Amino acid sequence: MAKKITGPQVLTANQLSDGMAVFLSNDNVWLTSIENAQFARSEEEATDLEACALPAIRSNDIVDPYLIEIEETEAGPVPVEFRERRRIAGPSVQVTFNTRPNGQLALAS
Amino acid sequence: MYRYDEFDTTFVRQRVDQFRDQVNRRVSGELTEEQFRPLRLMNGLYLQLHAYMLRVAVPYGTLNAAQMRKLAFIADKYDKGYGHFTTRQNIQYNWPKLPDVPDILDHLADVEMHAIQTSGNCIRNVTADQWSGAAADEVEDPRPYAELMRQWSSLHPEFSFLPRKFKIAVTGAQADRAAIAYHDIGLRLKKNGSDEIGFEVLVGGGMGRTPMIAARIRDWLPKQELLAYLEAIMRVYNLHGRRDNKYKARIKILVHELGAEEFTSQVEEEYTRIDAPRVMPPAQELERIAAYFAPPAFDDLQDDSPKFMQHEEEDAAFAQWVERNVAAHKQRGYAIVNVSLKPVGGVPGDASSDQMRAVADLAEQLSLDEIRVTHEQNLVLPHVRKQDLYRLWQELKKHELADANIGLATDIIACPGLDYCALATARSIPISQDISNRLGDIARQREIGDLKIKISGCINACGHHHAGHIGILGLEKRGQEYYQITLGGSGDERASVGEIIGPGFSSETVTDAVETIVDTYVGLRQNGETFIEAYRRVGPDPFKEAVYAAH
Ligand code: SF4
Repeated sequence: MAKKITGPQVLTANQLSDGMAVFLSNDNVWLTSIENAQFARSEEEATDLEACALPAIRSNDIVDPYLIEIEETEAGPVPVEFRERRRIAGPSVQVTFNTRPNGQLALAS
Repeated sequence: MYRYDEFDTTFVRQRVDQFRDQVNRRVSGELTEEQFRPLRLMNGLYLQLHAYMLRVAVPYGTLNAAQMRKLAFIADKYDKGYGHFTTRQNIQYNWPKLPDVPDILDHLADVEMHAIQTSGNCIRNVTADQWSGAAADEVEDPRPYAELMRQWSSLHPEFSFLPRKFKIAVTGAQADRAAIAYHDIGLRLKKNGSDEIGFEVLVGGGMGRTPMIAARIRDWLPKQELLAYLEAIMRVYNLHGRRDNKYKARIKILVHELGAEEFTSQVEEEYTRIDAPRVMPPAQELERIAAYFAPPAFDDLQDDSPKFMQHEEEDAAFAQWVERNVAAHKQRGYAIVNVSLKPVGGVPGDASSDQMRAVADLAEQLSLDEIRVTHEQNLVLPHVRKQDLYRLWQELKKHELADANIGLATDIIACPGLDYCALATARSIPISQDISNRLGDIARQREIGDLKIKISGCINACGHHHAGHIGILGLEKRGQEYYQITLGGSGDERASVGEIIGPGFSSETVTDAVETIVDTYVGLRQNGETFIEAYRRVGPDPFKEAVYAAH
């Protein structure tokens, strides 16, 4: 049955080897950036897009695929849900150490 | 500290080998994710927002230098050079790669550590007062009992598939530093009128979406009866616990629904049916375990160290650190040192591998090879000679580990929140950093005095916000984080659940609200009242008025 959607969707998952968030690109490749992600704009397309996860599940490259709704902006697709935006942005704190993070709130990983 | 016997060693090694095989089978596709997930969780491996997370057990928060060095080694070799100490006295690595995890577990087994029982509906890693075996106010070291419970509960067939996870905390002192009233079972060693030592037994406390303070179901339990009585509690729970509804499955709900009195009488009735001698360990086994926790070889010292007193007089910064971070030891001439993992603006509970190694070296040189992890996400060097305190402080300073803020406004508990955690609804760490920066001036912190701020990134409450004098819960509404504030919570011997003061705040305004609350307290306190004392006297209204008038 077609999946109910309220806006454009992209397909995301985690890489099996390291858990990193990945997105299915236009070229059917899983990339860590959402920039070139493939869109589904209708319920039928969403169902088809979801099915695109199967080969990567079978080849043990990804786990837990799911669709997320995005907004198309000039800077590229941006997830509607806050959680997904954070998941893409990475921790808002310093993640490699050996100097103490003194109030640095916005270092990328 | 406890050393593995042959059984423990074999068991842990076997588990590593099994997990190595399971990981290989997962990577090759022989196991599906559905099949593999419960297996990795049983070994402390979670899949989080950006990566896997490995949770390593630190039983009752006790470590030695070799173990801490191993944790540092793992942080460098397999992670990003740091680890996160949690409110469960564990350590979490945020970036391990799946194929590396069996090797990490192998390294841990080299120092008698593992990641078992850090997940799943079992009796989890037992937590204890971090000052156990050292505190001046302790009637007996509770760790032998924690170890006994660990052995009893590890893989106990009756308790491996409980309705929900189950957490036990134990203390040997009247002052509660282990938040026992917030656990499924809380145990306190105490003396009765005849100077015998036994347990006070609390059941049904917990955080999460339904915070509850545990009910006292036994004022006095002879200590040799501990396991038999616990078995009676677990049986009642296993029988009546709500397996049909995850949100109602914790023992706190059962105690609440039955009422403490009825629950107690069911436990007592079950207890009469238990074949206690079968459950109770033989006396030699108890002695064997207790021997591992025998007091270390303390020097026979004078209580006062003239050298220490002179430094205290001459160096105000040192004196301030002693006042906040050093506590009374049961052994003459010794002190307990609390090492803050809360630098102003830092990430609560994070330690770099360099810091871990520094603490390991200092523990070896100056604390009889012992380290503790606290549920407030700090470390402890439990056995330091007073005459060595100045030297220790100077060394800690070199590694940015000498913040004199234990129990002050910047000694904030914060869970990983939406910076790491897959279950989170909002971020906790940046909020704690912002508050810490705002209130960080040490003179101001000292002027504010004892204050516990605790932040969770979702309703699961790993950041213990219900027990915060000021509690902050991060939620999400319409794509934005917002933060609910509770006041008046406490996790100590006068445990209480914080009350929500009103509508939540945005990430931009929550620090202002906290500052207003703090300033309101400073304005209304009387005769040196602490924040929580003042709150208990005046209630929430003055704080609500100040906060909602200002925002
Ligand atoms: S409280 Fe929620 S966000 Fe924080 S660590 Fe626990 S589950 Fe994750």
